[in-house]
Amino acid sequence: MNTGNYFLHLLVILFASIFTENMLLARFLGMCSFLAVSRQVKTAVGLGAAVVVVMTFTVMLDWLAYRFVLQPFGIEYFRFILFIIIIAAFVQFLEMAIERYSPPLYQNLGIFLPLITVNCAILGASLFMVIREYDFVESIAFGLGSGLGWMLAIIAMAGIRQRLNNARIPYGLQGPGIALIIAGIMALIFIGFTGVLAGQ
Amino acid sequence: MFLAVFVISGIGAALAALLVIAERVITNYGDVDIDVNNGGRKFTIRGGDSLLESLTAQKIFIPSACGGRSTCGYCKVKVLEGGGTVLPTEEPFLDGAERKNGIRLSCQVKVRSDLRIEIPSFLLAVREYTCRCEKIIDQTYDIKQFDFKLLEPDIIKYKPGQYVQLLTPKYEGNSEEVYRAYSISSDPNDNTRFELIVRRVASGICTTYLFDHLKENDKVRINGPYGEFYLRDTGAPIVFIAGGSGIAPIKCILHDMANQQNKRRAVFFFGVRGMKDLFLFDEMPEFEKKLADFKYVPVISQPEPDDNWTGATGRVTDIAAAYLEKQSDAKDHECYLCGSPGMIDSSIEVAAQYGIAQDKIYYDKFS
Amino acid sequence: MKKSPQTQKLERMLGASKISSCGFLGIDRRGVDEIIEADAAEIARLGKTNEQIAERMRELTELAKTGLGDWVNAGEQIEVSVDDSRGRIPCPWSHGVRCSKMITTCRRLDTRVSIRWSELNIHMIETHGFFEGKGAAFRVEPKLLIKVIF
Repeated sequence: MNTGNYFLHLLVILFASIFTENMLLARFLGMCSFLAVSRQVKTAVGLGAAVVVVMTFTVMLDWLAYRFVLQPFGIEYFRFILFIIIIAAFVQFLEMAIERYSPPLYQNLGIFLPLITVNCAILGASLFMVIREYDFVESIAFGLGSGLGWMLAIIAMAGIRQRLNNARIPYGLQGPGIALIIAGIMALIFIGFTGVLAGQ
Repeated sequence: MFLAVFVISGIGAALAALLVIAERVITNYGDVDIDVNNGGRKFTIRGGDSLLESLTAQKIFIPSACGGRSTCGYCKVKVLEGGGTVLPTEEPFLDGAERKNGIRLSCQVKVRSDLRIEIPSFLLAVREYTCRCEKIIDQTYDIKQFDFKLLEPDIIKYKPGQYVQLLTPKYEGNSEEVYRAYSISSDPNDNTRFELIVRRVASGICTTYLFDHLKENDKVRINGPYGEFYLRDTGAPIVFIAGGSGIAPIKCILHDMANQQNKRRAVFFFGVRGMKDLFLFDEMPEFEKKLADFKYVPVISQPEPDDNWTGATGRVTDIAAAYLEKQSDAKDHECYLCGSPGMIDSSIEVAAQYGIAQDKIYYDKFS
Repeated sequence: MKKSPQTQKLERMLGASKISSCGFLGIDRRGVDEIIEADAAEIARLGKTNEQIAERMRELTELAKTGLGDWVNAGEQIEVSVDDSRGRIPCPWSHGVRCSKMITTCRRLDTRVSIRWSELNIHMIETHGFFEGKGAAFRVEPKLLIKVIF
């Protein structure tokens, strides 16, 4: 594969993971924080940005760990444990570093980090990366794309829910009920992207 | 199989070790110098805590009500150098002028480099005291008087009219230590003890402790003194107006005037709702004898028929207005007010009506 | 369900804390968002808005203040009075609002029902739609409140 083609291939992975293979709306991963932290656009942006950063870097780290530790020893079946340990450690480290070196950034982004450690979308990204046998650079594109896709979805959701404050919603559907219905409709919309990009 | 377990455990251990090292390196701020009021106090501490915590550890007490959670906005200090940028958590509490002057919430400023700060100088005089509760006296159905003997340090210096903050310990129904403010009401001549007059607050953290849990001989911690409410040293005639437990700082000032043989003309209007709210029946008229030119006027707003009340009746501010009406030098009076915001606001109106300048009106609004 | 750090902080401030010994949530097991949503639905059913309620409460409090602690007549069948305590209480939403600890009591002469609220109640109803959790010392039951003050 020549460089131009490879670059195009990376772009396809990036955009596919944002739109057609959106982690949240196509795979329903990371649903919990998606529903809980999408009341305001401002917090959604903070959490979304944190997910982008953490996802990109943990996919890189997990790829390295998988390729250079798990595969040589033939213990790929341990990947769940190892990936979770790496994600947890990385998030801890990141939180410490941000708090030390940039207090304003910590207030905007860092406070969301503990919420992310147990976000299944993060682990999901690493596992998909293994299943789809991406190489290192492809994994970065995939991690970044998945993060951006997740961020896009939660910001859209927050925007809709802010407007929802002015709407008259049937009593039984208020709160999580209507949020799930909206998530379903958004997922249907994203299914419309299927076939536009063949990412895998 | 063993190898697999070994490898995974090894990686886990390595990451844990890495985190421990990172924590040592990243969260170690080293020794930091803090300079308060341009050399007024200087000390070196280990960085990493909030400025509020660091100052409290050095026995410099910045008033704070929420416990460092950027909710009350009381713990403002001026940071001249080394505070970093204003955090989003502080923004709602700071107006434009404060931001320009480097005012920060000390609970949100983290000590990470050398700091130069400025605080009101009286805060440097604030000390922490341990004292023993000597006596609890029921004054009315909802007001109690608490007498305390100082243990460590054994003397307190304050201006009559100032207040102290009392530390409420944890008790059943209260999970955190909090400070609440009460004015000193005793004779300042005896500076080894002091008394507080406290009215019960519905569901109040500290008053519930004082009324239901504190017993004689219990030890409590206070700090102080605070406040700008004290008698100005002029010859002007004085009007005191107080309601309910607002009598406390006025009583302290009257003790002081009696001790100094102060000859200024003074009158004290003490407003309560009913006969059952009135207290200090002996002590207050006593001041009329001790002081050269002093009148005590208790005012009841809604006396019951069987109270047989013959004194002044109505709103305390109306009675005060009637008094000022009769004075030829009404506008020369100094006003000292202590009580509810409602009472203070209408007292200020009355004072203004008789031409008393705003800067001659001193008050301890309950805030 | 996971909660955003802001909601977590808010709920920490709403629980028993340095600003209120018994907290604002009482024995209510619901989250703050759920409490607000449930009360909003109740208010809508009764045909009022939070703004109308807060405005009426403020009007009554202002009237009551003129009595300096005595009962003040506020139209037919309604009497109000205020009771002041020293100190101010910050709004648990941590946005720089501090309210006096003034408590207004409102009683109806016809039904003999009375209800009390603090300045913080007015602020929280107006700005946050929050009437406090069931069993909290200063919970203002929307249904009862509307019955008494309108």
